[in-house]
Amino acid sequence: MAGNTGGPWGGGGGNRGGDDDDRSRNDGRRPQDNGPQIPEIDELMRKGQEQLRVLMGGRGGNGRNGGSNGGGIPEGPRLTRGTVGIGALALVALWAFSSFYTVRPEEQSVELFLGKYSATGNPGLNFAPWPLVTAEVINVTSERTENVGVASSGSDAGLMLTTDANVVDIDFQVVWNINDAGKYLFNIRDAQPTVQAASEAVMREIIAASNLAPILNRDRGVIADTAMANIQAVLDEYDAGISIVRVNLERADPPREVIDSFREVQAAEQERDRLERQADAYANRVLAEARGKAAQVLEQAEAYRAQTVNEAIGEASRFTAVREEYAKAPEVTRKRLYLETMEKVLGSVDKTILDQSIVGGEGGSGVVPYLPLNELRRSTTEGN
Amino acid sequence: MRMTTFLLPVIAASVAVVLSSVFVVDEREKALVLQFGQIKSVKEDPGLAFKIPFIQEVVKYDDRILSLDTETIEVTPSDDRRLVVDAFARYRIADVVQFRQAVGGGGERLAEDRLSSILNAQIREVLGADQVTSDTILSEDRRGLMNRIRDQARASALGLGLDVIDVRLKQTNLPSQNLDATFARMRAEREREAADEIARGNEAAQRVRALADRTVVETLSEAEKEAQIVRGQADAQRNGVFAEAFGADQEFFAFYRSLQAYEKALMGSNSSMVMTPDSEFFDYLKSDRARQ
Repeated sequence: MAGNTGGPWGGGGGNRGGDDDDRSRNDGRRPQDNGPQIPEIDELMRKGQEQLRVLMGGRGGNGRNGGSNGGGIPEGPRLTRGTVGIGALALVALWAFSSFYTVRPEEQSVELFLGKYSATGNPGLNFAPWPLVTAEVINVTSERTENVGVASSGSDAGLMLTTDANVVDIDFQVVWNINDAGKYLFNIRDAQPTVQAASEAVMREIIAASNLAPILNRDRGVIADTAMANIQAVLDEYDAGISIVRVNLERADPPREVIDSFREVQAAEQERDRLERQADAYANRVLAEARGKAAQVLEQAEAYRAQTVNEAIGEASRFTAVREEYAKAPEVTRKRLYLETMEKVLGSVDKTILDQSIVGGEGGSGVVPYLPLNELRRSTTEGN
Repeated sequence: MRMTTFLLPVIAASVAVVLSSVFVVDEREKALVLQFGQIKSVKEDPGLAFKIPFIQEVVKYDDRILSLDTETIEVTPSDDRRLVVDAFARYRIADVVQFRQAVGGGGERLAEDRLSSILNAQIREVLGADQVTSDTILSEDRRGLMNRIRDQARASALGLGLDVIDVRLKQTNLPSQNLDATFARMRAEREREAADEIARGNEAAQRVRALADRTVVETLSEAEKEAQIVRGQADAQRNGVFAEAFGADQEFFAFYRSLQAYEKALMGSNSSMVMTPDSEFFDYLKSDRARQ
């Protein structure tokens, strides 16, 4: 027996805050309290009495006060027309005040006729005649956020086990809003914990079905998308009236305890790259050198070929020319060539000419063995 | 004034009677009307309802989907690797009469306790079944396991008047004492990978260098070969040219070439000659008549 039928005044004044809460009006108490019957009747009786006192004109002018704090009562039952009129007016005003409500564009309202769903309110001013109709207004567009895996419940909160028995640290954020106020209010009690739990379960399921390496690298976007679809599916299964706006996978890293090792692998990858590049550089250098040298060797050979052949041809043609002339006058030419050559040869050679007579004739052993040839030569050289 | 003082208690009493004989069942609720603890009627649909004042009381139960998170338990799948598991269930009070009979005045709290132990038992049973290993739990088959837990829990919870809508495993983690070993293994794997990277880098580098060195030798020797061929061809050509030219008059060639050789060989200041003037060159040195 919630507030609407309970206290005639309590329903109106207390909950009129224009608040955006989901439970703006009607959530006086948890219905699971068992055996609330006697206290409720007591309360009814008490409130009924208060109501009577007010009707009796205890405080006609400010009936609202009288209603809510039933304490400020009696100055004696003095009924005049004026006080009754004022009291009635105040009651009407109060009733109107608690029956009209506004729905802002970002909100949805649900009207309950005697507890039964009757209508969904439109944006603007709405009328829900109290106490037969009550209305609940909730903000549906504002985005709500659940963080899963973030170090709220210890730093190990986001650790999840993968298929290949590795541990990965996942932090993510689920952003959601309400797409159907009626379903949201009537189908599910603990909406926010439900989103949280469903998100965690879905994410752990995805991670448990995947190996570590793809989670760390390429599949992040895929994981976020899959998680979003699956969380939505779970909530739809509950008919929760909640729509998942997006899933932000904020962190998908190796756990702190091993992250250094992962960095070392990255460093090793770079080192490998460096080694390979250095080797490439070496190869490029020596290969270019070798090609250059090979070209040089070949060119040298070609140069040798040109030189040799040219020289040969030149020499041969010189000989041929000389021979042709020689053929015209052999004896003279022969003599001339001989003498010219001897002239040149003997002209530059150190000569020691020994006359036959000095030598001592044929076969005679003359002065030759005693000639100081080296001495002679030296003196000649110095003489030059 | 007399009239009113007399009427007021009557009005008050009748209002109280009316109010206590009427109750509203909210869209979110189901209600039971009890008379001295006995279930008299069930009000499942929202709206206005009546009861006998003072004798009957109304008990309301939530008609929405309720949540329950199980506490963390350790299960041992058939491969003896222990896993820390928790789950959450979403359920609804389906049959208020049965629910009331099962939990009495204990309400939701008692029902949660009962459901929680049902869930724990089912989780242990399903995850500890013969063919279920920790690899099964950590795979695509997890969904199937969850469905089995859900179906079995649903069957058991029917007696409580509860409809189990969904059971999902949340964490399936290693116990913290095994976590360190896992981290150590992960580290070792990474170290292996790092060492492997370096080794592969060195291997590739060495391969590249060796290939380069080989190519250098090949290139140079190839060039050398070509060069020798070219030189050989050149020498052959030279010989051919000479043979053709000199073959025309061999006697003159011998004479002419000898002269050239003398000139080259004896030129320069490093030669000295001791001779007697009886060669043809000196024919006229001593007389104006050539010797006969």
